[in-house]
Amino acid sequence: MKLTPEYASAQESMKPGKITAEGFLGDDDRNIVDIITADEEEFAHLNLDFSEVAKLLRQLLREGAKGLGNVVTFEKWEITVDEARGNIPCPFKDGMFSKRVSTIKNLNNSKQIMISDLSVHLLEKHHFLQGKGSIFRLEPSIIKAVLYE
Amino acid sequence: MIRVLMDPLVIAAISTAFAIIITIVDSIVNNYGDVEIDINNGKKVLKVKGGSPLLQTLASQGIFVASACGGRGTCGACKVKVLSDVGPYLPTEMPHMSSEDISKNVRLACQVKVKSGIKIELPEELFNIKKYKGVVESLKNVTYDIKELRIKLIEPNEISFKAGQYVQIVIPPYGDIKEHTQRAYSISSVPSDKNHVELLIRLVPNGIVTTYVHNYMKEGDAAELVGPFGEFYMRDTNADMVMVAGGSGMAPIKSIIFDMYERNITNRRVWFFFGARSLRDLYYVELFRDLEKKWPNFHFVPALSDPKPEDNWSGEVGLITNVLDKYLDSMIPKDNVKEGYLCGSPGMISGCIQVFNKYNIKDVYFDKF
Repeated sequence: MKLTPEYASAQESMKPGKITAEGFLGDDDRNIVDIITADEEEFAHLNLDFSEVAKLLRQLLREGAKGLGNVVTFEKWEITVDEARGNIPCPFKDGMFSKRVSTIKNLNNSKQIMISDLSVHLLEKHHFLQGKGSIFRLEPSIIKAVLYE
Repeated sequence: MIRVLMDPLVIAAISTAFAIIITIVDSIVNNYGDVEIDINNGKKVLKVKGGSPLLQTLASQGIFVASACGGRGTCGACKVKVLSDVGPYLPTEMPHMSSEDISKNVRLACQVKVKSGIKIELPEELFNIKKYKGVVESLKNVTYDIKELRIKLIEPNEISFKAGQYVQIVIPPYGDIKEHTQRAYSISSVPSDKNHVELLIRLVPNGIVTTYVHNYMKEGDAAELVGPFGEFYMRDTNADMVMVAGGSGMAPIKSIIFDMYERNITNRRVWFFFGARSLRDLYYVELFRDLEKKWPNFHFVPALSDPKPEDNWSGEVGLITNVLDKYLDSMIPKDNVKEGYLCGSPGMISGCIQVFNKYNIKDVYFDKF
């Protein structure tokens, strides 16, 4: 896939200090199109569906938010939703999201992920799971372990 | 050999020529010259250089419109009524605009460029907002993730604000951050301490300003503030005050409570509920316990939602909304009108509003960021 001006602009906004302190790319030196392509292949290989994953993540975040920052146990998951004031824009300029940082832990295998509302949007709409080394990177295999094992 | 040397030189010369042409064209095409900003129907008229966003243009003239994000179009705080035609709404403005805003031609000052003469309306109190230079006098941990930042003001060396208002702190470039960045924080000190501004800043993962304050800032550093802003302050009534905070939301409530005590407004009954997860998230407990002893109408109710066994906690336990509900139901006298004052996460605020609604408390105040 080509690095279109839209992707190039989003990639620029993902650099450290543009939207967040550390940015979205971590120490990954691939461009975002390569990152997205590789993660789409990995999702397909693991039989994961971006929309279904986003839907389940949103449901878990809704349950977690009821704890007002405390740990909430829902089915096989332990969820903590921490809110800060303010909003954060999507680097693709298609939305604004609350600054909420959540952790979801699967009690069966103790695997956990850290996500923001923006990361769920990036996953669903742009298939972008962030660069390797980013603190909000969502590794497909970990997503599968946390959500479906 | 000559060819090897010449090729890069030719390419460099062509590139330089293009750069010069682009610069010249840019200065002609984007040179809007001097333009006028008419504020409040001629009450103030500014002559400014056109081409920059309205927010920055006004700031360059000493008029500071609130902007929690520093002009990035993310906070929606810099709303200004524009009376001139400045073009259609931008996609970056729309998420922040209600239908009422649009009907009144309210725009985000950070997104509207001043390209020609423009008429706007601003609240008069904005003319009193200033930029302050100071120095970090102290920077202390009050919990593992909240710092108390105390800034001594240098120029000007005094600030006048209402307890509960906020300022915007401006931080310099650091690490990979190439630009100045600003964010809004409530003032936790009292207005009588005119030479200082104290803020409580909680570390937000990946936050540009909070990371700076927690990991880079040190005592003695220069500091820059703009303010004061905000409509969150004590209303001058006789109503009982029910105040709820969590985390760094303690800041404006602390300022309001101690300001009331200093000004001897102690006839009003005040309940302050502070929610934390476990003992390590609680702070200033002794401060408020001491105040309770001196002010019989003041009641401090810290509550832990998930106390650890080693906390040996004997106080209230549960979500702050549940504790608030319990007190409003059976422990707070119902003989007087009540006002709600809230500062914390959006989830906590909406949860508390639901509880207030249950008890018909309609006058509820909070800052929306």
